[in-house]
Amino acid sequence: MSLFRVMAIAGRIIRQFVRDRRTMALLFLAPLLVMTILQIVLTSSNGSVTLALVPPPGPIGANLTQVIKAPDSIKLKVITADQAEPGLKNGDYDGVLTFPDYFLARLQQGQSPTLRLRLEGSNPGAAKQLTSLVKVLVATIAVPQSGGQSASVTPTVTTSYLYGGPEYTTTDALAPLFVGLFSFFFVFLLTSVAFLRERSQGTIERLLVAPVTRTELVLGYVFGFTVFALAQSAVILLYVIFALRVHYAGNPFVIFLVTAALTIGGVNLGIFISAFARNELQIVQFIPLVIVPQVLLGGLFFPVKTLPVVLFQLANIMPITYANVALQGVMLKGFGVGDILGDLIFLVGFALLMVLLAAFSLRQEKV
Amino acid sequence: MSSSAHSDVAPIVVSDVVKRFDKVTALDHVSLSVLRGETFGLIGPNGSGKTTLIRMLLGLGRPTSGNISVLGRKMPSRQVASRIGYMTQSSALYNELSIRENLAFFGTLYGLRGRRLKERIAATLSLVELAARADSPIQTLSGGMRQRVSLGCALIHEPELIFLDEPTVGIDPELRLAFWEYFAQLNQRGVTLVVSTHHLDEAARCNRLGLLRFGRLLAADSPDALRARSGQQDFEQAFLYFAQQAETAEAGEPTPAAEKEA
Ligand SMILES: Nc1ncnc2c1ncn2[C@@H]1O[C@H](COP(=O)(O)OP(=O)(O)OP(=O)(O)O)[C@@H](O)[C@H]1O
Ligand SMILES: [Mg+2]
Repeated sequence: MSLFRVMAIAGRIIRQFVRDRRTMALLFLAPLLVMTILQIVLTSSNGSVTLALVPPPGPIGANLTQVIKAPDSIKLKVITADQAEPGLKNGDYDGVLTFPDYFLARLQQGQSPTLRLRLEGSNPGAAKQLTSLVKVLVATIAVPQSGGQSASVTPTVTTSYLYGGPEYTTTDALAPLFVGLFSFFFVFLLTSVAFLRERSQGTIERLLVAPVTRTELVLGYVFGFTVFALAQSAVILLYVIFALRVHYAGNPFVIFLVTAALTIGGVNLGIFISAFARNELQIVQFIPLVIVPQVLLGGLFFPVKTLPVVLFQLANIMPITYANVALQGVMLKGFGVGDILGDLIFLVGFALLMVLLAAFSLRQEKV
Repeated sequence: MSSSAHSDVAPIVVSDVVKRFDKVTALDHVSLSVLRGETFGLIGPNGSGKTTLIRMLLGLGRPTSGNISVLGRKMPSRQVASRIGYMTQSSALYNELSIRENLAFFGTLYGLRGRRLKERIAATLSLVELAARADSPIQTLSGGMRQRVSLGCALIHEPELIFLDEPTVGIDPELRLAFWEYFAQLNQRGVTLVVSTHHLDEAARCNRLGLLRFGRLLAADSPDALRARSGQQDFEQAFLYFAQQAETAEAGEPTPAAEKEA
């Protein structure tokens, strides 16, 4: 293998696209436009929210879920104190409301007990809903004093966050999803069109006749397009952090890793898919098949765990689902490589599978 | 069976090659050999199999049956790739890139670097008379100019065996003449050329000619010998003569390609 040839191919792809002003503009400006619009449009996220309750000992603990009236959008669940933190980390619920052991005793003494609300925090919509629910809840618990005094005692609530804080907004939560989506899909589209052109203008014949191996060809394409995908991610991140003032806790290097794995998958998926298209229009026809399901099911619009079984299974084999989890982890929760290892392994596995498919479709080239 | 008297192995030996696409038989039991330092012409009507034969010779597809050996290797082979040049029938170039960038790209793929690459680019640009336009993007060039760049890309690495699929389509008469003079110079240096063409005046300039029709090689011989064998002065007439011969022989055994020393 010759690095010179790989770099010649990568350099050529970069040159071609830099010359293509409109595509460049699309690549860098379209994501910014979409994100800006979404920030304006979105106020809070929907979907169902789960609140876990750690009841005080004694009789009220048992029928706490009946006593508390929550709107339909909020599910209640009773757990024990030691389940609280692991469950939150695991994403089993969006918040935990803990009643102290002395809850009843304090109330009866006419003192105000303190409830602890711990929020998961990476879904700002859910956090907001839970905060206001707990506020209402606390007001209804108010117990009139036995002494006949008019004053009633209201429990107080202290709120803490596993990730982020009250300042996190929905756009904060969405920003990581966009970094993944845009780098994957633009790279997929650009590669499939670039490779299609290679076929339609006949240059693929020259490449196949030249002393270039399939590995060099695939690597050249991967390098060329990874440069664009990373530049695009950088622009999106900078815009989102400095212009949209999104909160951000991550390490850029880990984001780079995730984006790179995703890009390699996208480039090779593009090479593979382009074998089934005869012109640009037919590439566009692959968008509903390859792109739309991932946008809809990958966690951007609906939380993956709330999907119906069939769609949930589908979401579980889509790279974007894993990239979303990983990027949200890194950007919102400050996760390192170790925390997203599972997702990263899936993405690398997906990339390798796509490399194999692309290499296979290049082999078919020599009819 | 070739009765070549040359001592060294012929750079191209094709034995009994058949290539079938779904319904079409593009090559029908073709056998021939091309000798070192000659220009071998391929003529025949549209769809007669010229491009298919050239692509098989380049390893861009496997024959349905039969054998092909190029530069001593059974094709397809990557080992000989760097010693071969190929000019496709339609000018296959990167339209957004300049002439120089296209030449540099293909030169690099063929292992040219640094000063050597610069020298070769300069030499190729002056050969195809495009030095003045070196930095123009391909999409701003005329059709004939693109064809010239395409030829340049096939020659940049100084290959010893060159396949040219209709290289002079759309090229003005003056430059066409210059090209054929250059081809003769290449022959003198021992470079072997396989050229397909529809121009009969160009066919006359080849050392030997293969006449293809419906994928069958009607004859392969020097232009003079073909004229003498058919008793016709004009190539068009000679071609018709061999076509008729093939048709009358159709009922009998399929005639293997006639190979006679000039
Ligand atoms: N990839 C392919 N799939 C199916 N049929 C093909 C393919 N390539 C060539 N053919 C068929 O093989 C036959 C020979 O085609 P070829 O391109 O070799 O002709 P040619 O002699 O180069 O013609 P021209 O002078 O028009 O360039 C034609 O009938 C063509 O339709
Ligand atoms: Mg042809």
